[in-house]
Amino acid sequence: MLLSSAPASARLFVSELSVLFRRWRTWTMLAALAAVPVLIGLAVRFSPKGPPSGRGPAFLDQITHNGLFAGVVGLVVCTPLFLPLTVGVVAGDTIAGEANLGTLRYLLAAPAGRVRLLVVKYLASAVFCVAAALAVVVGGTLTGAVLFPLGQATLLSGDTISPGEAFGRLLLMAGYVTVSLLGLSAIGLFASTMTNVPVGAMAATIVLAVVSQVLDALDQLDWLHPWLFSDHWLSVADLLREPIAWGSFGENTLLQLGYIALFGALAYGRFTTKDVLA
Amino acid sequence: MSPAAEGAGKPSLAASPETAVRTEGLTKRFGRHHAVDGLDLTVPRGAVFGFLGPNGSGKTTTIRMLLGLVSPTAGRVEVLGEEMPARLMGVLPRVGALVEGPAFYPFLSGEANLHRLDTADLRAPVRTRGERVKSALERVGLEHAAHKRVHAYSLGMKQRLGLAAALLAPRELLVLDEPTNGLDPQGTREVRSLIRSLAQDGTTVFVSSHLLAEVEQICTHAAMLRTGKLVAQGTLDELRGAALPRVEVRTPDESQAAEVLRGLGLSPERSAPGTVVASSAANDGAPAPEEVVAALVGAGVRVRGFAAAAASLEERFVELTGEGFDVAQ
Amino acid sequence: MKRIWTRWLPAAAVPAVIAVGVLAAGAAAVSPPPPATPEQVLGLVASHAARQFSGTVEEKADLGLPSIPSQALAPATKSATLGSEAALLELLTTAHTARVYADGPTKLRVQVMDQLAERDAIRNGNDAWTFDSKTNEVTHTTLPAGTGSEPSPTAKAPVMTPDQLAQRFLAAAGPSTNVTLGQSAPVAGHSAYALVLTPKTSGTLVSSVQIAVEAQTGLPLSVDVYAKGQKDPAFHSAFTKLDLGAPDASVFAFTPPAGATVKQQPAPTPKASAGTMPKSPSTASPKASAGTTPKSPESAPSWDTVLVVPAAKVPAGLLDQPLVKQLATPVAGGRLLSSSLVNILITDDGRVLAGAVPASTLLAKAAQ
Repeated sequence: MLLSSAPASARLFVSELSVLFRRWRTWTMLAALAAVPVLIGLAVRFSPKGPPSGRGPAFLDQITHNGLFAGVVGLVVCTPLFLPLTVGVVAGDTIAGEANLGTLRYLLAAPAGRVRLLVVKYLASAVFCVAAALAVVVGGTLTGAVLFPLGQATLLSGDTISPGEAFGRLLLMAGYVTVSLLGLSAIGLFASTMTNVPVGAMAATIVLAVVSQVLDALDQLDWLHPWLFSDHWLSVADLLREPIAWGSFGENTLLQLGYIALFGALAYGRFTTKDVLA
Repeated sequence: MSPAAEGAGKPSLAASPETAVRTEGLTKRFGRHHAVDGLDLTVPRGAVFGFLGPNGSGKTTTIRMLLGLVSPTAGRVEVLGEEMPARLMGVLPRVGALVEGPAFYPFLSGEANLHRLDTADLRAPVRTRGERVKSALERVGLEHAAHKRVHAYSLGMKQRLGLAAALLAPRELLVLDEPTNGLDPQGTREVRSLIRSLAQDGTTVFVSSHLLAEVEQICTHAAMLRTGKLVAQGTLDELRGAALPRVEVRTPDESQAAEVLRGLGLSPERSAPGTVVASSAANDGAPAPEEVVAALVGAGVRVRGFAAAAASLEERFVELTGEGFDVAQ
Repeated sequence: MKRIWTRWLPAAAVPAVIAVGVLAAGAAAVSPPPPATPEQVLGLVASHAARQFSGTVEEKADLGLPSIPSQALAPATKSATLGSEAALLELLTTAHTARVYADGPTKLRVQVMDQLAERDAIRNGNDAWTFDSKTNEVTHTTLPAGTGSEPSPTAKAPVMTPDQLAQRFLAAAGPSTNVTLGQSAPVAGHSAYALVLTPKTSGTLVSSVQIAVEAQTGLPLSVDVYAKGQKDPAFHSAFTKLDLGAPDASVFAFTPPAGATVKQQPAPTPKASAGTMPKSPSTASPKASAGTTPKSPESAPSWDTVLVVPAAKVPAGLLDQPLVKQLATPVAGGRLLSSSLVNILITDDGRVLAGAVPASTLLAKAAQ
């Protein structure tokens, strides 16, 4: 049954993506994310004093040497708030948004199947995570290429790499950031099954992202830190060390998988037992 | 319900291919409120079944249970001979539905919305999708607005699009919740004739409505719901026949007329100045209209007008649901 | 539909699976080391041949000092007079993770992995480099040929490998110390002995020092310093990952990046390098006072040694520095920086006294 319905499920996934990416809102958020490195690049390029060394966002002073760092700074700046914000909007909207429009009852009566719909919705929000991270990379790369030289890049360890490798590292960072957001997406999916008011689910998801980071900053709670989904978010910079510190990538992936499993299971429990009254 | 109770006493639900919908003791509680209470519904195949009831009587909750959107607190549902919601994925592709008004993605065109819904149907063949979407749009007269965003649709257009969605594939059962809501008289006529033509093709249509006239015009069967409980169901004729005969007399001699009518075993009441209506207490043994007129005239009542109202579904509805009862009584 | 609760089973099962997974990962099957006497283990450490390794070291201190937000320390790190003190405080109050690569006595790289930043100390033959990614500053020292000692921790990379630390403690473990073997436990997946050093004197704040020693090579894998009256180690340094293979040679190659400020620093004088550290304020660190200082020829090795820095060698106006004022409490005759493991007294006449001893000992010594 599941196997024979695989092509149909794939088509539903494509349809889900087309609904997501035919929304004005989705493109507005992606454009806003892409604008962050653009603004950073413009500020660095046209500020009279030049970038201050060791001040402001990390890697800011690197931009003048290698424009690709506009994307790096963009990713680092967007990680704590802007990216969770947009992912919270998309993930919180998954089920609650359909319920709010009333289309949820028609999808289920089609019948899309509750589990299938849940999986497709989650995968689509994961694709948005990729798109969101890539939006920052694209914005940063274009800004960097136009405003700055694409020369040698200095890593955190003081080693120097070629522009090509630097771009590879930037893409790796985008991958890391995407993985970082997958757990939050699962939380958003669960929140979305709890309500018919999408704004509520979005707000709950975003608030959780902020709370997690605040808890992560409290030294008194260091026993809790390894369990917080935001714990490895800023370790994205480990990809800029030489040799690359893959440890945080692995730990982060494992942590996010745990969150996906837990909140995916909770979303499954909630959504398959839910009375659809909207 | 325990498996033991299933096997014993009651006949198996599955062995009834001639019924399109059947429920047994269907109950839904929300907290302490019984939205649907012990509903035993039988919709024969090929029927146009009117599902009547005042607002809040549990019609929509019942429809949601038929479609597996809401799980019953107790009781069983069988749709097209299959147990719901256990066999939901196999049953629903054969069922078209319009539930509690149409709902679409406002930022997509009507056509894109239908494509989306058809994609959600696991069994809908992708090859014929475009064709089926086109013909469904034509069938409801929306072919010219196919590429417009639903955002720009009027309520009536959305209602038509909702019907188109229900008609995307050949269906054995259509569940339509208030299908003429928001339509102009022309649109209403079109929908009625659409339902009739579908019924002629053998599709069973389950229509919920609060418009009795509509049900009377298009339905072969009907059921009436009041505060979650079924109060009557059957063919339209059966339901009408159960209604009590009634006469209406226009006369200045109201009290005299009332006395005569009471003498004939009717229970008269003054419905308006100069008008007395009377209905018989029982269906059997009611006097024929001409006898009533003769008695009135014989008693010297100045009869200015007389009508023997044909038993209507509306009266039956009013009787059974208590809606709109004359407060003067 | 009656068994709706079964839909919640996965949600209940996932935490259980995670818990099992975490427990299973924690209980990695490592066979305990063969029985040995403390002397044999000491001999193993002394002769240890693991000169090639790469690993990750975790270091944290719980000294009962107030945690100072790094933002508050950041400006101080740049101040000329207080830079190294602030960096030292940072070391004492926050946890660190560092990657360590070693290949023989003259090739070592320590990378302190800060959040969004890194501090590197590289020793490659006769070149010693430090790099700080935050300031983009490089220091370079050309060591005289034949210098064998490893690069010392500096303010830029204030992390020592458990190996370096343990060597210092063990060197200091003379007659004043009881050496026993504790319950062996694997460290970083390696079977290890647990050496326990207990000071014989009661005049020190150090309760015991535990050193895990790799069972085959004798490489020290972790150092835990316990303070009296404190359950958790006051100072902890351990490998969390360790590979005993030779690191890639490119790890030790360092070229200052374009745009970095490069400062040439003179090689330490032979006298200083004959000791353990170049003249640096980090000699006042707890490790130094507890372990290193006794090794210098001037003082006898003992746990309750008090290090006295004469006023002439202390930067002028130290008492008036905001950082000192913030952290040190006024006492009769000066200001006292007190922690569970080490006390530092700055007297009104400008001397600095430090030691792993109770404050009263310092005050008494100052009054002499």
